[in-house]
Order: sequence, then C-alpha cells, then structure tokens
Amino acid sequence: MQWYMNTKKLIRYVAGITLLATQAQAATSWQAKLATESLLLDMSTFDNHLVVVGERGHVLLSEDGDTFEQLSVPTVATLTAVDTVGDDIWAVGHDTTIIHSADRGQTWQQQLFLPELEKPLLDVLFFDSQHGIAIGAYGIFYRTQDGGQNWTVEKHPTLLHPDDQAYLEDIRQEDEAFYQTELDSIMPHLNRVSLHDGMLYLAGEAGLLAKSEDMGQSWQRMEIDYMGSFFDIVFDGGRLLATGLRGHLFEYVEELQSWAELDTCSLASFNSIVPLDGDNALVVGNNGYVLSINGTVMSQERANISANENCVTGQQLVLSQTEDSQAIINATLFNDKVIAVTAAGIQVLTQD
Amino acid sequence: MTNIITLCEQGIFKNRFIVVALFILATFFLGYQASQLKLDAGFEKNIPLNHEYMQNYMKHRSDFGGANNILVSVCDTSGNIYNKNFFDTLKNVHDQLFFIDGVDRSLVVSLFSASTRFTEIVEGGFSGGPVIPANFDSSNPNALKLVSENVEKAGIVGRQVSDDFSCAMVTAQLLELDPETGEPLNTLEFAAKLEDQLRGQYENDRITVHIIGFAKMIGDVANGAKDVVLFFAIAIAITAVMVYLFSKSLMLTFLPLLCSIVAVVWQLGLLTVMGFGLDPMSILVPFLVFAIGVSHGVQMINAVGKRVVGGASVLQAAKLAFTSLLIPGGIALLSDTVGFMTLLVIDIGIIRELAITASVGVAVIILTNLILLPVLMSFIKLDDKYIERFAGKEQRSDKFWNACAQCASPKTAAAILSVTVVLFVLGFIQSTEMKIGDLHAGAPALHEDSRYNQDTFLITDRYAISVDYMSVLVEATPESCTSYEVMNAIDEFQWRMVNVEGVQSAVSLASVAKQVNAGYNEGNPKWRVLPRNQQTMVQAISRVPTSSGLLNQDCSVMPVILFMEDHKAETINRVVDAVKQYRQEFESDDLKFQLASGPVGVMAATNEAVEAAQTPMLFYVFGAVILLCLLSFRSLRSTLSVVIPLYVVSILAQALMTFLEIGLTVSTLPVIALGVGIGVDYGIYILSTMSDKLKEGMPVQEAYLIALKERGSAVLFTGITLAIGVSTWVFSSLKFQMDMGILLTFMFIVNMLGAVVVLPALARMFWYKQCK
Repeated sequence: MQWYMNTKKLIRYVAGITLLATQAQAATSWQAKLATESLLLDMSTFDNHLVVVGERGHVLLSEDGDTFEQLSVPTVATLTAVDTVGDDIWAVGHDTTIIHSADRGQTWQQQLFLPELEKPLLDVLFFDSQHGIAIGAYGIFYRTQDGGQNWTVEKHPTLLHPDDQAYLEDIRQEDEAFYQTELDSIMPHLNRVSLHDGMLYLAGEAGLLAKSEDMGQSWQRMEIDYMGSFFDIVFDGGRLLATGLRGHLFEYVEELQSWAELDTCSLASFNSIVPLDGDNALVVGNNGYVLSINGTVMSQERANISANENCVTGQQLVLSQTEDSQAIINATLFNDKVIAVTAAGIQVLTQD
Repeated sequence: MTNIITLCEQGIFKNRFIVVALFILATFFLGYQASQLKLDAGFEKNIPLNHEYMQNYMKHRSDFGGANNILVSVCDTSGNIYNKNFFDTLKNVHDQLFFIDGVDRSLVVSLFSASTRFTEIVEGGFSGGPVIPANFDSSNPNALKLVSENVEKAGIVGRQVSDDFSCAMVTAQLLELDPETGEPLNTLEFAAKLEDQLRGQYENDRITVHIIGFAKMIGDVANGAKDVVLFFAIAIAITAVMVYLFSKSLMLTFLPLLCSIVAVVWQLGLLTVMGFGLDPMSILVPFLVFAIGVSHGVQMINAVGKRVVGGASVLQAAKLAFTSLLIPGGIALLSDTVGFMTLLVIDIGIIRELAITASVGVAVIILTNLILLPVLMSFIKLDDKYIERFAGKEQRSDKFWNACAQCASPKTAAAILSVTVVLFVLGFIQSTEMKIGDLHAGAPALHEDSRYNQDTFLITDRYAISVDYMSVLVEATPESCTSYEVMNAIDEFQWRMVNVEGVQSAVSLASVAKQVNAGYNEGNPKWRVLPRNQQTMVQAISRVPTSSGLLNQDCSVMPVILFMEDHKAETINRVVDAVKQYRQEFESDDLKFQLASGPVGVMAATNEAVEAAQTPMLFYVFGAVILLCLLSFRSLRSTLSVVIPLYVVSILAQALMTFLEIGLTVSTLPVIALGVGIGVDYGIYILSTMSDKLKEGMPVQEAYLIALKERGSAVLFTGITLAIGVSTWVFSSLKFQMDMGILLTFMFIVNMLGAVVVLPALARMFWYKQCK
C-alpha cells in the first residue's frame, strides 16, 4: 500500500515536471509545416534576404522568395511587424512582445514581453542598429537607444485630436493621476510609421496622420477631412500617400497643403502601400484587393471588380482582386517578384 | 444416435401427408408475413454505438446534431448563380426541404435562411444584415448585385456558395425520430422524398440538383438493392439448368429448387414475425439461403438418385437418403448457423441483423431440405429411362474419381501439401497488408460512377467544404469559452491538427473568435488573435450563435471540426493518432479533447470496431467449426483435415482483399465468417463417408475414392452452384455487393477445391500408416 502511494506521488511529480517542460516549451514557436500558409503580417528585406513574421510567433526566412525556413524564436505571440538593420532583426507583436536577432535570425532573444498590458505592438522602425521605436495599440510608444537592451515608454498626447488635447489639458490642471489614466485610455491605435528623408510619418486610428522632424520626439498632426482609421502612410515616387479603412486613399497636395482623396472603388480596407520600381506602386488590402498605381496591373485577379459598377477609379488606378480573396497585409519587391503576406500565407503577385 | 434417426425417419415417413400439409400451412402463413416485409435502414444500425467515440458522439448529439446531415447543392448550368431563375429555384428548394418531415427545421441553412448574415466594418463600428434582404426581388438585377456583394462580405464563399459561383448549398440536419409519428425516421421514405420533391421537381436544363448525406446514400443503396430481384431470377434460372444437367429429371430439378424457395419465404416471413425489416446492406442473405438450400438439396437428390439407380424403390431411397444425410447435412447446416451466429459478437447493429437473418435462413433449410425434400421425393416416380441415363455415366465418372483419388497417393499428396504451404505463406504475408475501412473516395457502398458519388465529387470539388469531416469534442467547465487559456489551448490544438497530413482545414470557436476580434478592430488582420481581456473575449464570442455548431448553450463543449482530404483508413488513423498525441499537450482535469463526431468520426469508430472484431470473429467461427467436427467425427485427425484447408482459404481470401483493394468494412467483415461457415460443408460431406471407412482401417486412397463416388459429384456441383449464385452480384450497381460477390465466389470455389484436393492429401499424411 505504502509503495502504491509512493508510486502515485511519483507519477504526480513526474507529471508536474512534464507540465513545466511543456510550459517552458510553449514559449518557443512550434515548427509547423504550414507556417508559410499561416496568417502572415509583415516582411522586411536585408542583403538578399526576406524575413516574414506572423501569427503564433512565426518568423520565416528566405533567400530566393520561393523556399522559406521557419526560425525558432522565443515567443508564440502573434508578431505584427518586423524591421531589419544590417544583421539585426527586430520583430514586435501582441502581448507587447519584442524579439531580436543580431545574427540574421540564427539566434533570438526576447527584449520585451508584457502580456498583462493587453496591448499589441503594431509596428517597429529602426533608424540605425541602436536607435528605434515600436508603436502600437492605445498609443503605446517605446523607444530604445541601445539596440533594444532597454525600451522606454514615451507618451505623445500631441498625436491626439486637438479637441481631445484641450480636454486633457483641462483635466491635467486638476488631477495629474487622472490625466495619466485618461490619456492611456483615450490614445488612438498607432498603426504604422515610415521614414523618408529624415521625416517620420505615422498613420493611426480615427483619422490620425502625423509627421515628426526629430525621429518621433515631437509630433505634428496632419489635418484631414476623414475620421476613419489609417493603416499606412508612405512617401514614394515624389508623393505622400496614406490609406486605410474601407478603401480610402489620399494623396498629399503640397501646393494646397492638404490631402486629396483618390477614387479606388474599393470598400475593402487597404493595409499597405507598396512602392515598386519607378513611380509604380501597389496598395494591398482585405478581400484580396490590389490597387495598382501607374498601371502596373497584377494578374491573379478574378475580374476587374469594382464595388460599384458606376464607380470609375481615379486616373492610372486599376483595382483587381486575387483569386482566393484572402486579406493581403503587405507586399514587397524581392528578387524581381512581388511577394505578399496574406491571411493565408505567402503569395506571389505576378505582374502582367 | 442411430435409433433416434430411425425413430425420426419412421415418424416422418409414416405421416408423410401430415408433414407435407404442415409445411404447406406454415408456408402460407410465413408467405403472407414475408409479403409484409419492409426495406428498413437506419443510421445508428451502421455504427458501433458502444465504442468510446460513439459514446461521446451520442452524449453531445443533442447539442451538435451530429453526423446525420443532408447537403443539397443547387447548380446553375450557365456557371453563374446570379439570375432570377436560380434564386427562385434555390428559394423553392430551401422551402421544400424545410417542409420534408424528418428535417430539423431549426437547422436548415442556405442563403435564404435568416441566420445567414453578413457583417462589414464601417467607420465607427459594424454594419450588417441578412445576406438576402427581406425585400429581395429576384427580378431586379440590382437586388442580385447586392446579394452578390453581401455573399462576399459574409465570407460564405466555399461553404454556402461554391468557389466558382456556379452553385449554392442548402444544408439540413435530420432528426432521429419522425416528429409526426414518434417512430424512428424512415430513412428510405425520406430519401425518396428528396429524390422526388427536390431533384425531380427542380432539376432541368438550367438547374442541376446534387444531394449527398447518409440518408440519400442509403436511399440510393436501397434502389440499387432492388436489382437483386433480377439477380435472383438469373441465379434461379442458371441453377435450374445446372440441377437439370446433374439430375437429368425435371421432377428432381423442381423439388430442390422448390424447397429452397420455401426456405427463403420462411426466412423472410420469420424476419417480419421477429419484427425486423430487411436492410439494404443485408439484402443478399436470401440469395445465400437459396444457394445453400440448393446445394443441400442436390446432396439429397444425389443420394436418392444413386439408390434408385442401385435398384431401390423411390420411397426406400428417400428414407435411406434421409437417414444417411440427416447427420452430415444437419452438422453442416448447424455449423453454417453457428458461423453466422459468431457475427453477433460484433457490436454493430447491422452486422448483428445480418447474423440473425442469415442464421434463421440456414436453420430453416434444415427443415425444408433435410425433411421436406426427402418426403416430397418419396412421392415421385423414377422410371427405367431415368436409371438408364445414369448407367453409362457412372463408368465415365469413375475414371474421373480415380484420377481425383490420386490426391491421396503419397507423391501427389506431398506435392499438394508443399504447394499449399507455399500458398499459405505467400497469402499470409499479403494478408497482413490488408487495409481496414474504405479505401476509395465517395460512398464506398456505391460505384464511383454512381450519381451519388458523382455528386459528392462535384460538391467537394466546387466548394471548400468536405463531407469528410471529424469533430473533436472539447469538453471543459461551463462558460470556459471566456477563458483565454482554454480558448488558446483549443486554437493551438487546432493549428497542430491543421498541420497533420490529410487535414484540409479546420474550424472551431477559437478560430472564429479570432476573426470576430479582428472585426471589432476595424477588420485589421493584425488583430486576428484571441483577446486576453475577458470582456473582449465575451464580446467576440457573443457574435457566434450556438446554431453554428461550434459551442453548446453554456459553452462547456466546443468542437474542433477537422475537414479531411478523404476518408481512407490510413488518413483517418493518422489524424486520430495525431489527436491522441497532441491532446496530451493541452489536456487538464477541466479540459478534454474527446474523439469524435462527424461522418469521419463515425468511420474512425467503425474502423476500430471492425478491426477489433476481426480476430475474435475468426477465433469464434473456427472454434465453433472445430467443436462441431470433433463432436461429429470424434477424431482429431478428421477435424484437422477439414479445418486446415478452411483456414488456408480464409487467409487467401484476405490476401485477395489486399490484392483487389477491398478494405475490411462492415460489409466485407462478415464475408469470411460466411465463407468459412458454408465452406466447411464440403469437408463434412466428404469426411463423413471417409472417416467411417478409415476407422475400419481402409487405406486412405481407397476410402477417399469411395467418398468421391458417393458424394464427389454433389460436392463439385454444390461448389459451382453456390459460386454461380453469388457471382451474379459482380454486376450489382452496389460496390459492396460486388465486393461481397467476388469474395464469396472465391471462397466457395476455393473451399471446394480445398476439400477435394487438400483434404485427402492431409488425410494421407495423418493416416500415413493406412497405406497400401
């Protein structure tokens, strides 16, 4: 009987160890045969390499754009964005996760992991191998000066709508603590940053477009007559474009100091603006919509579908849709191919 | 023993008229009963209800409907559904299906059901509505345009609308009980209604209607099974010709056929009396009964004929035939019956029914062919002409039998045994490769080119869905769908399963919740995650109705539905093994990943039950045969001589199944038991004559020659008759009947050869001292 009890204890003990082992293991991404067909959310290129990130801590590396190797990383969080500088790769995502590799993806370290915040990071941008920012939901904004060894929180109330800023200032006069809480809850999602010629551009929730001349230390909102969310802002081919919810696409008109809307004929949201060679660019979005700017028409389109038959796209814009209608989150020109990350994994968009 | 038989003989033959009258009365009564017999098919009969998986399936069936569903795909031949005619037809099909009795009306789903909604993200939140608005007017092109946009927004392309927009789907779940009568649903009637009221009414030049699901499949099987009447007629005709060639007398042809048909009538009548119907899956049993009846009848006319030729009166000959055949015939039929009864150990309703149907039929033959037949024969007259016809034949056949008897000569016996050993070893190696379950796509009972299977291929081809799916039932504590840990475990488990070869895609509450969460975040794919925040999780899940089949009322059970590439046994095994492996990683006291529901879950359980039943079934059937042989021969050597060839043949049959890619399924599992049960007859007839002589010390070859002269022609004839009877099934429109036909033909012919060729060789070895 005694022996029996001991055995039982032993079994429990062993079971406990196994449980610990699986928990420890759970932090490492699971090698999946279908990782290239999973939800993939961002990509970056460096020195003839393409790195892609997505759900469940998927990080994929390719040298040719055809075959991808899944890297083992110390997270299972959904990674939403990736950036590279030299041999360094940073990927950020849900649970306020930041992971880093200094050796082109061979080994990885976790730099930040704050699941209790319940806020995802949505984009990351490094200016050089030491300086970078990571932004995300509810206005979270992290900055590093040492390659990610330390990440410090920054708050940018200037990104708020002027009315909200005024309201918050009022509160601040009375109660500093309440101001902080209110600021955290009122801040919009920061969806995307991009850098051009020393100018930092930011796209965010509820009509937020902003720019910064000092690498994001201070921000100026860009006024626009649209209150929907923006998912990308890019300076390309001599013009500044911003795109977002329900097919909205705007071009900044320098002379008028204001944004002009372009007719895309899409009601599906656009997720990214993808500069190609020359003046050509693509705008990719949900339901497999691809908008070509300056005539680069993508095949794989089912038909030249527009949401409204009476709609005519703006000049030199062509709307098409991929066959499987999966949401396209981003794309890039790599090895002379337009490689896209979609809700169903890697897809190659071929030019006609 | 001899006394009892003599008593029987006296009792029966003294009251010949009474016996015949009793048989006529019984035949009238059971004939009436047989005319009341109904075809009867049910879903649950086909599944092993006590299997662990099926227990789980039954436990949650009320929440998730289960595996008994019907898919109706309405297709437009023009290749595009967005036109007035199509939508009018689709609406009619939806309404018609809704009103067919037996359909669970709360679970009829199509574009026209209120639960088919779309949501879209607009600035500041969601907007949405039914895919087909209430004021839908199919004649308005703009309304059709709107519907086409809503279909895209609703994300139902591939499920409710085919990938190429040429078809739309109406799906329904079936009730187990008919709501009108409270009786179990009459599946065949239901299937006929589907055919008449849906396909019959709406299929035309512009519209095609494709219906799949268990009920439709079994209906098509029943229709195919009706060909059996034709096969039955052909089999009777061929058998009649054969018997005439054998007996050279019209009367002697007529009587065994008559008695065998009486046996079939009795069997069918008794089924009604016992409250059974005839299942399409076991519709071949009356055939078997007829064939077995004829084969025993032939032994009887053979015995009578031989004695009449030998100079006895017909009455004397009939009495003698009765007394000499009652024991071997009775033993043979008893072993058939026992062989069939062993199928009762298999816990699948339909196999049990087959066991009962078949054993009743064979038991009845004891009465009709061992008692009624000799009594009827005692009334007929055989003139001198009849005797003359056989005079020359005896001499001719003696040469043949002498040649056959060489099988018992030392050299030939050694050669035969060596060949047998080689065949056995090769067969054994091949038989270990035998596959369990269905090896081909589509419904295995039907041919690949049948309408049903063509419809299945069309639907799996044009839609992203598959009829081959299995649900893993995730059992947790109530309200656990609001727990991030539980939902994350489900999500991770699902992702592991999607990566298993053979799994096409999967869906669960967790995967849907992720999509809804992205929806709440302006449709941004970067938010396609499970929220850690409980309120946010509740918000996401509240948009998923229980009618989705992804959760029950208190979300304590949430299935992970795995869509599979096919339902081949190896695919099922791989997926089931993966479930068993991966669930260990995620299970806890409060979280269980239970196998299994859905059509493939049922197949998994059936495959496991069939595989588990195979060895015990063979064990029992051989046990019974060995016991009966020991009892009747009281000799171990005789018993082994009969059983060894049988065993070799059953192994060869398994090898043949491997070779012909016939899997071991509910319909092929009984074949070996049937084959062994019937195959033993040959050996018993031959050895019953032989063993007496051997006991007297007669050399083996001589004893065998005597047995051949006495019974040889009847044995050869029996084997050929049985084989012809079942070989007509090869032309059946049902795949499983074809498979059964091939296998039974093989077993009957080869068992006969085993008895005529291998048995004497074995006897030669066992009684090696008794040589010349």
